[in-house]
Amino acid sequence: MTPHFGLPEFGFLLRGLQWTVLLTLVAFAGGCTAGLAVALLRTCGHKGVEWATRIYIGIFQGTPLLLQLFVVYYGLALTGLKLDAFVAVAIGFTVNASAFLGEIWRGAIEAVPRGQTEAAMALGLHYSSRMRDIVLPQAIRISLPATIGYLVQLIKGTSLAAIVGFIELARAGQIVSNQTFQPLLVFGVVGAMYFILCWPLSWWGSRMEARLALASQR
Amino acid sequence: MRKGEKIVLCGPSGSGKSTLIRCINRLEAIEQGSIVVNGHRLDDSIKAIDVVRQDVGMVFQSFNLFPHMTVLQNCMLAPIRARRIGKTEAEATARKYLERVRIGDQAEKYPAQLSGGQQQRVAIARALCMQPKVMLFDEPTSALDPEMVKEVLDTMIGLANDGMTMICVTHEMGFARQVADRVIFMAEGQIIEEGEPEAFFRNPQHARTRQFLGEILAHH
Repeated sequence: MTPHFGLPEFGFLLRGLQWTVLLTLVAFAGGCTAGLAVALLRTCGHKGVEWATRIYIGIFQGTPLLLQLFVVYYGLALTGLKLDAFVAVAIGFTVNASAFLGEIWRGAIEAVPRGQTEAAMALGLHYSSRMRDIVLPQAIRISLPATIGYLVQLIKGTSLAAIVGFIELARAGQIVSNQTFQPLLVFGVVGAMYFILCWPLSWWGSRMEARLALASQR
Repeated sequence: MRKGEKIVLCGPSGSGKSTLIRCINRLEAIEQGSIVVNGHRLDDSIKAIDVVRQDVGMVFQSFNLFPHMTVLQNCMLAPIRARRIGKTEAEATARKYLERVRIGDQAEKYPAQLSGGQQQRVAIARALCMQPKVMLFDEPTSALDPEMVKEVLDTMIGLANDGMTMICVTHEMGFARQVADRVIFMAEGQIIEEGEPEAFFRNPQHARTRQFLGEILAHH
């Protein structure tokens, strides 16, 4: 007989939600780390390195994420590297996020007025201190709304992981829906879960943006 | 240039005054010729640039204070990072120079909370904290409201009276008269004329200098 949507099904969705959150956190943390490296290389002043990073960003922004996940999951398996589904999608999302965050932060780094770097240089500060103490703290503030916006996209984007068989929230919803024949109810709950994750972030992001706009008016 | 000497650079915009002083601490690359600061020849090596920047302080037209740091932090950062001195010592030095530019009571504020004149005085204190051998001023009063020009000029005059070696790009001719040992007039990237301020202002030799002085002094 067909089970109705009850507590066990809800628990199954919650576990899917857990995986969605975990995948997002891993991809975002990995993407931030690698993205920072991308942004720094992209603005390092060395023409060859800047071009190489530009191509890297171009490739990952210019091809579908779905394709990138296929390549990591199936492509690497062909070379004999059989990855667990979670590890594979985590790698795929991390690399993709590094390109997008790298480009967001490249823009933010370049938006910090040139005079800041000049003043730091005139004071005898080296590259590492100029970046760590002067440019990045200001660039991060500038990029915060866009970074939060990207995080929201990432949360929703993790549903693509279902394609290689990883059971996150959207895939869990599909499974429960197929079992209960209550798609409206099930996907309604799934949608609400995504919304509860994303909406506060979006709200925080737009508040940041308003505050930054106010600060730059002064 | 001698130790303790004060030079004022003036000339129409685009004449290369700023470029000249920006070459001295290598914010601008040198195309030809050479610069020697305190016995150190400035070439393209990072080490040479480093050594020279430690000896050269600079004040910009647009202040360029670090907006995310307090006044005190602005003054402490470079001594800690570039000179590697301890925090307590850096703070003591910072407070000393902030007192000297008469802004000691604003140490905990952020740059945006200060007036333009106060910000520029903080920028002067920040440069002094590195204990430079020479100070460069790149139109330090050009971005200020008229009523704030005097407080910055007074600070600079105080610094000059204490024996600091200074090169100032400025159109404040009163300041030039009062403190300069030499005034240099530039146009189209060339030094046209230089001399002691009295002679320079009373009896300029070149027509281009006379025209320039006529234009800027007409309003005074």
